[in-house]
Amino acid sequence: MKFLFPALLMSASLTQAADLTINDAMARAVPPTAKISAAFMTLINNANTDLAVVSAESSVAEAVELHNNTMTDGKMKMRQVNQIDLPAKQTTELKPGGLHVMLIGLNKALVEGETIDLTLNFSDGSSEALEIPIQPIEPMMQKKHEHKH
Amino acid sequence: MRNLFLYTFLGLAVSVGAYVSFELFGPKAPLPKYAQAGIGGDFSLTSVEGEINLSDYKGEIVLVYFGFMSCPDVCPTSMGVMATAIRQLSEEQQQKVRGLFISVDPQRDTPEELHAYTQYFSNRIFGATSSKEQIDAIVKQYGGYYAFVEMEDSALGYTVDHSARLYLIDPDGHLADILAHDINPVELHEKLAAYL
Repeated sequence: MKFLFPALLMSASLTQAADLTINDAMARAVPPTAKISAAFMTLINNANTDLAVVSAESSVAEAVELHNNTMTDGKMKMRQVNQIDLPAKQTTELKPGGLHVMLIGLNKALVEGETIDLTLNFSDGSSEALEIPIQPIEPMMQKKHEHKH
Repeated sequence: MRNLFLYTFLGLAVSVGAYVSFELFGPKAPLPKYAQAGIGGDFSLTSVEGEINLSDYKGEIVLVYFGFMSCPDVCPTSMGVMATAIRQLSEEQQQKVRGLFISVDPQRDTPEELHAYTQYFSNRIFGATSSKEQIDAIVKQYGGYYAFVEMEDSALGYTVDHSARLYLIDPDGHLADILAHDINPVELHEKLAAYL
């Protein structure tokens, strides 16, 4: 049973995007002098029609943009994208090393345990206002491909 | 009596000769392959402590990383991996390991900010930068890559494409290994432990 995100309960009173589930939303805790951070989440479009995230807003950053990271030939490249497509009946992951919501020009330190507001605007004109936790992304002391049977 | 002197002299001569030829021609610890290929070597940077040189840290393992503070993803992840691997070492061993985050973006990142940024992850990770010319030279010396890329529609203005690798410098100051940015902390810990 997945932990139901409180923001989703709260968002019932807000403009609701059609048939969309957002799980594991978080903003990355960053060092005090960092001017930027990123937000990650899993978006599930349960509808029969395609949707897209076209923009985002937050009170903690001067600008909020949609970005994508790619690793080609050992070179890490980050580029802004116009929208993040959420194809019908599919799960789209915003995660480290890939698509993310970029928080630029932070006006407060993103401290672990606190939350930030984040509003996602969708291609159908709807919006989703979230209150997401600030968490560190700590690599685990686990070996890759280690499965216990 | 004369014979005794002669034998002593001969004996000494043979010993000295053997010692000298062993020193000159005997087996030596080979240089790591990167050092043999001329990759790596000493450099100078500016940190909160003023000018620092890689050679200041002889006797320590140095993990060099080229990044920038506006990097949202790979850089903090790599710093997290480094910090986690270092934390697994004993307190004594940790003092012999040093992370060095070299900012390739001196226009935005000051030594003070870099210090606070790196110390957030571990008190054994330090930040430094230099002039663009100096950084270009160091990146080239280590076979790395970075390039500024204009982002017209972004509030960032520009971003930096970069090779994201960890350069492991052995206690003699030689580049001993080049590791992927997403190396597992367990693997990195094993690499570090091998030199301690």
